[in-house]
Amino acid sequence: MNALEVFELLVFPGLTFFVWLAFVFEWLERKTAARMQGRLGPVVTGPFGLLQPVADFFKLASKEEIIPEYADTFVLRWGPALYFAAPAVGVAFIPVLGFQSILYQPLDLLVMFFLLSFSTLMAAMLGYASAGRYSTIAVGRLVVQYSSYEVPLLLSMITPAVLAGDISIQGVVAAQGSLWYIFLAPAAFAVFIVSALAELEKPPFDIPSAKTEIVGGWMTEFSGNTLAYVKLTKNLSYVFLSALAVSLFLGGPSGPVIFGNSSAQAAIYGVYFLVKLFAVGFLIFAIRTALARVRIDQAAKLFWTVITPISLAQLAVAIVIR
Amino acid sequence: MSSGKPSEEKSEAGAGLMQYSPESMMPFGPVHPSLKEPEYFRLVLEGEKIKEVIPRIGYVHRGIERAAQERTWVKDIYLFERICGICSFAHSICFTQGVEALSKFEVPRRAKYIRLVVAELERIHSHLLWLGLVGHWAGFDTLFMWVWKDREHVLDLSEAITGNRIHKSYATFGGVRKDLPDDIKDKLLAEMSFIEKRVKYYDELVSSERTLSVRTKGVGTITQDAARRLCPVGPLLRSTGIARDVRAEDPYAAYDEVPPEVQFRTDGDIASLLSLRMGEVLDSCRMIRVAMEKLPSGPFRTPVPRSVPAGDSAFHVEAPRGELFYYSKSEGLSSPARVKIRTPTMANLLTATEMLKGRPLADVPIVLTGMDPCFGCMDRVSVIDLDKSKQWAFTGEQLREYGIEYYRRLL
Repeated sequence: MNALEVFELLVFPGLTFFVWLAFVFEWLERKTAARMQGRLGPVVTGPFGLLQPVADFFKLASKEEIIPEYADTFVLRWGPALYFAAPAVGVAFIPVLGFQSILYQPLDLLVMFFLLSFSTLMAAMLGYASAGRYSTIAVGRLVVQYSSYEVPLLLSMITPAVLAGDISIQGVVAAQGSLWYIFLAPAAFAVFIVSALAELEKPPFDIPSAKTEIVGGWMTEFSGNTLAYVKLTKNLSYVFLSALAVSLFLGGPSGPVIFGNSSAQAAIYGVYFLVKLFAVGFLIFAIRTALARVRIDQAAKLFWTVITPISLAQLAVAIVIR
Repeated sequence: MSSGKPSEEKSEAGAGLMQYSPESMMPFGPVHPSLKEPEYFRLVLEGEKIKEVIPRIGYVHRGIERAAQERTWVKDIYLFERICGICSFAHSICFTQGVEALSKFEVPRRAKYIRLVVAELERIHSHLLWLGLVGHWAGFDTLFMWVWKDREHVLDLSEAITGNRIHKSYATFGGVRKDLPDDIKDKLLAEMSFIEKRVKYYDELVSSERTLSVRTKGVGTITQDAARRLCPVGPLLRSTGIARDVRAEDPYAAYDEVPPEVQFRTDGDIASLLSLRMGEVLDSCRMIRVAMEKLPSGPFRTPVPRSVPAGDSAFHVEAPRGELFYYSKSEGLSSPARVKIRTPTMANLLTATEMLKGRPLADVPIVLTGMDPCFGCMDRVSVIDLDKSKQWAFTGEQLREYGIEYYRRLL
């Protein structure tokens, strides 16, 4: 691995780039919600309040950390790092400046499946390790919710792979060309977005972190640095899932390229990618703001009786088209 | 786990956690994001299902009834307003009307109409506040923000009429403290049209929005029989199909001339409470229009003597949350000998805990708040012990003994 690859992996378009995107996503989420609700949202820190999430992160990270008496300190110390690692590794598989991703592997869609499950597993472990009543109940809900949305989420991710005949993200992006899979498999895209809301614990599926019921959900007992990183991870997952949606359904960074040498092309691809990414993010923000929270039994019922059959039917259609 | 299995007798909190029984205890309050006032509910859970709810009240007991005995009658009006940060005017008119009945003051008709208008404005603002909070509790913050933005219009009206948004300091013995402003009628009518339009929209929204209707339909149902047994008041009672309203049954202020159309629903669940309260807001708008049309001219206040003749009186009004009850006793002195207050939340608390049993944990915020609780109003010295299914009120002497015993135990 040479210096350029290390730079790509850690700085641009790798980890640092995506972490900054995570901050921007949080800002955009707060701003969208505020505008839809007739408020202003963040305005003080930085231009249009853009630096508010960054300020929040550093303020939270500098706070005192309180570890509950019965907490499993080993898991609490090392768990957040692993939890952060899941989306941090995941974003390196997303093609940003062209069709080549940084950590390309021929079967990397399977890695995505693993990372999505791993992220939830770590959340459950962290919740149990912090040994609070609210966290324990929240983890129960998290696991029920996960077992409900996992099947449709994976089915909706397999559908583009079936259409492309390739189980790598890069292959799926390359196979889309001018006809994005959102047009070939709209139901799969819809199912992916709905399942992503559940994965991200956003309304109407913010059941494991329902503030008015179980305080902070599985994050209740976290404070200070740990909480700052857990929150950052959630925002990074936001970007990660939106980027997955862009890659699998919206043709990744592809788009009409009119002119230029390779670096100009890369820049244009990057712009296309960002535009699509924010479009998907905005869609999720809008749904999140416009809905109320459902109960866990209602969510499970919805996923098993409505969304899973839809995703199965879509997969069958995709196989027939293929 | 690296920390090993903690011993059970280490502390009560840890012990409950490590017992592997199907039942677990979860504290809901006194400090909890969905409770805006401190109150403790001990929830016994089996998984997510609630087996038992044990309320423990008294976290915001401020000794207001005792404080009232130290102050003059006039000062008490403003003290009692402070009982509730939402329905302050209901408290002040309940007290003043009780005392007026006791000393047989005649209140001018115009003052009665003004009292009605302000009381109905307060009902609108209280119900809108509750609707917003239901949105918040159901995880629908957008509804919360929208409704509270519209509620500002009502608060502005309240400020235009009385000079204050919440604690109006407006009612006084013998009338109200100042006349309506000259230009208020047009403003009131215009704002009522606005509120009616918005409330009709919200009414449609909460019944048609799927994520909200699955959370409210058939949730927290209370039957008519249970309602008769548990004696809730106000909207909670009317949502079960029992159309009881103090304004209609025992009219005070100008309610005999501007009667309300008593709203009631029959399902007894949160959805019917929502629709009921929206109906009441629309009815309040109608009543304000009628009252402004029929508003008589004349004085808004008659001078009254400072002291109150000996005797006692009980008075009740329909506060936004239900029947509010004041008992005042005078010994002919400048301050009351005793004032007893029974707020609607006190009457509704047991019903709400009954509604919760057997429901999933996720329904706690929305059901508990279906009664529109105002714990700050409620907390006075009365004790409910569901462990022994007993309810009693301390006498002064018992309370003193209990206090001494309690602190002795602490030492």
